[in-house]
Amino acid sequence: MTMILAAILLPFVAGALLFALPRNDRVLCRVVGVGVAIATFALVIAAGHGEWSHRWLSRPFVAVFHFGSSPLSLWLSLLLALCTACAIAATRIPRARDFVALLLMLEGSMLGLFLARDLLLFALFWDLMLLPVFFGLLAWGEHPATAWRYFIYNFAGGLTLLLATAAFGVIYGTTDVIGRPETHLIGAWAPWIYAGFAFAFLVKTPIWPLHTWMPPTYAALPSPMVAVVSAVQSKAGLYGFLSIGLAMMPDYVRAYATPLMILGAISLLYGAAIALVQTDAKRIVAYSSLSHLGLIVIAIASGNHLAIAGAVVYIVAHGLFSAALFLTLGYVEEREETRSLVRLGGLGWKNPRLAGALCVAALAALGLPGLAGFVGELVILIGVYQAGFTWPVIVALVAVVLAAAYMIRLYQNLMNGPQVADAPVRPDLTWIEGIAVAPLLAALVALGVDPAPLLRL
Amino acid sequence: MTIPFTHADWNAVMPATVLAAAALVVLIADLVGSRPQRYLAIAIALLGVGAAAFLAAHQYGKSYDAFFGGFIVGGFATVFQEIVLIATAGSVVLYGALGSPQRVAGMTAIMLWSACGAMFMAGAANLMMIFLGLELLSLGLYALCGSADRKTARESAMKYLILSSTASGFLIFGFALLFGATGSIRLADFVNPGLASNPLFWIGAGMFLIGLVFKLSLVPFHTWTPDVFQGAPLPVTAFMSVVTKAGTLAVFARFIYAALPAGVSDRLLLPVWIVAGISMIAGNVGMLAQHDLKRLLGYSGVAQVGYILVALAGGTPLGLRYALYYLAAYALMNLGAFAVAAAISGENEEGADLANYSGLGRRRPWLAAAMTVFLLALAGLPPTAGFLGKILILSSSVSNGYLWLAALLIAGTAISLYAYAKVIRAMYAPQEGEVREARPFVPLAWASAALCAVFVIAMAFYPLTPSNVLPLVR
Repeated sequence: MTMILAAILLPFVAGALLFALPRNDRVLCRVVGVGVAIATFALVIAAGHGEWSHRWLSRPFVAVFHFGSSPLSLWLSLLLALCTACAIAATRIPRARDFVALLLMLEGSMLGLFLARDLLLFALFWDLMLLPVFFGLLAWGEHPATAWRYFIYNFAGGLTLLLATAAFGVIYGTTDVIGRPETHLIGAWAPWIYAGFAFAFLVKTPIWPLHTWMPPTYAALPSPMVAVVSAVQSKAGLYGFLSIGLAMMPDYVRAYATPLMILGAISLLYGAAIALVQTDAKRIVAYSSLSHLGLIVIAIASGNHLAIAGAVVYIVAHGLFSAALFLTLGYVEEREETRSLVRLGGLGWKNPRLAGALCVAALAALGLPGLAGFVGELVILIGVYQAGFTWPVIVALVAVVLAAAYMIRLYQNLMNGPQVADAPVRPDLTWIEGIAVAPLLAALVALGVDPAPLLRL
Repeated sequence: MTIPFTHADWNAVMPATVLAAAALVVLIADLVGSRPQRYLAIAIALLGVGAAAFLAAHQYGKSYDAFFGGFIVGGFATVFQEIVLIATAGSVVLYGALGSPQRVAGMTAIMLWSACGAMFMAGAANLMMIFLGLELLSLGLYALCGSADRKTARESAMKYLILSSTASGFLIFGFALLFGATGSIRLADFVNPGLASNPLFWIGAGMFLIGLVFKLSLVPFHTWTPDVFQGAPLPVTAFMSVVTKAGTLAVFARFIYAALPAGVSDRLLLPVWIVAGISMIAGNVGMLAQHDLKRLLGYSGVAQVGYILVALAGGTPLGLRYALYYLAAYALMNLGAFAVAAAISGENEEGADLANYSGLGRRRPWLAAAMTVFLLALAGLPPTAGFLGKILILSSSVSNGYLWLAALLIAGTAISLYAYAKVIRAMYAPQEGEVREARPFVPLAWASAALCAVFVIAMAFYPLTPSNVLPLVR
């Protein structure tokens, strides 16, 4: 079954071929980019549970170019392809050709990560997916220091992952283990290997106190790229916990559940509290991400089946609404050339479609029933409570209230209130911009009304 | 008196002989022609290197010792020789592309003779052969370092001469003590367990190792490297950074794998591993402050040799294979980086100043992309051979119980990323102001950069670790 290989290679090849287009091209590259992203979406579905493997190393341990999918990785791949398509459609940026090429490479590298069935391959794509974001920060970011911080933090995580992978391979004899239920690592080395993986995952998610790279990165990246990064790349760590941590080293996830929960709870509250006082719109969403992902870490640490099912729903839901939030905030920034809440206001009166898009995304983020975010939160809370942890549930409920506060504050400051005096009137969303966020919002509603396909994993 | 050498002996050194003969042909062709011929010299040299590589490859499978056990053919030696030849070919091409036409032929010939020395070192199995190879290599390098009309080049040659002679002094003193302890110059005779209690052997072996560490430019004997690298002409730096390391590593590997009595190696080599560990940190930290590509790669080399030694720690054959894999990968990424620097060099200056790289991503997207590949490979990022090399080295050190070396490697790599990414940032970050325009097009440098980039990426997916590196000595 080479369909799955084609899905991973297509974005890389297309991204490289884009450089054959004229340098100043603005339209064709986006058309090609959206087409490729939709094609990968189709290829992932067509590949289904197909697998592809090819021998890589025989010594010092067996490593295989092995691609395949689990239900979770399938969902994440689809989310990734959807977000990439939307992000490319929403791209309006100087040097668009290079940017779209980077977005496609980012898609390819993360697709490889989610579909890798081999730990060494996973580590390869883990490092590879840092590069497009690093280049994006360098070439389009606001300050080069941000690029360093992103790269060095995440590369440090990647290195511990690499060391842990090497140790795993040496001890276990093979790294072709993702998705094999019989793999259980125990012994004197296992806690250290788990620690290596967990560090990388916690940096990537991120979780307090390893989060300091994240708000500046999210604020500095152009919004189409940050939409993909926050929606999908931040899930790589959670995916790792679910498909490597819980699957192969469940004893150690359980043994260290309390510290993990404490870190998750701190992130949950800390992110929400900072989001309440930020005035930079993108940073509000960045800190809200820190908060939301803290909840998912709590769910994973609890080890409860229901909580994990909720975590999966919430992973997808967070991907959808954070992508939609960042894309709409990108539209606001393009129009008004600022994203400071102090200098914006009353946009909604003249831009009803823009206001509507932000409204749906913000409501999903604060967990309104009927949208996908609510289902995830509720199921997680029930599951964590069932597992016998009361205090995280109380913390999470406080954070849910705070989430409502900061999301409403964000919406109100941008869209409602008095219009800023002598601000020029700018056009509402064009139909292309609308189409770029519509699928995300539609998916939020659809999964909110009927989350069964996600819960059935 | 008849010479007691057989055909087999001469066949054993045939690759090096062909290389030396090619150097002579280069010189004669230069004399015959009316004007200096840049491309003729390169063509002859490449033909010679190709022939030598072909002959060496034929020796890979068969293994025998020549010159009464002084030179061992096959396996391990062949792999090192091929790496030396690849690096020589790359450097010759760069010299041809950059050097002044009057010098090309002479310097190409010297480079080939130097490479002969490294090839002798690769197969050397007694102390005389080691010293012969090392001196042949170094003598050529002194001349090569000074072969530019700059004060820094002469300074570089002088520095290298003095410090390299010091290292040779340590080596030869060590040899004398080893001979005194064992009564033999053959490495094979050192395996006698009785030597473990002989202080003369310990001191001799220690001196010998100090000499090698000097040549490998590990901390604390590394301070000459950046200065010499900076002053020497760019192609010579490329040559030196790979060939010297390859030759010396071959000697080191043969010594620690094959010539140490039982019970000695753990205690004797521990300082070497500590030095390697410190080098990985110090080399990468030293890189942070550099503004010159040659200095930067000089410090980087200090750390990279440290990585290679980590693979050797523990003395397993598998570790040796990974060291060879990483050395080959290092040769390619280093040569590639120098080729890019050559491609953007101006008429009279070398493109080693990092200021030349700002905005390269806009001016020369393909060169910038190639440079990015090499820098990522040096930093150990995918999708390059550097990534796979790191994981192989890490697994070797973990399985041999040298976890602390693995941890230092990780820490050093994390530091190094900043320095390598600094160059990447210069190439891709938007910047204001005038950028110096470099030479329009240097096809030879361009082609070598492209070739290296392809191999650096391909090696990550087809890990060719040599399957047969033994026997090391008999």
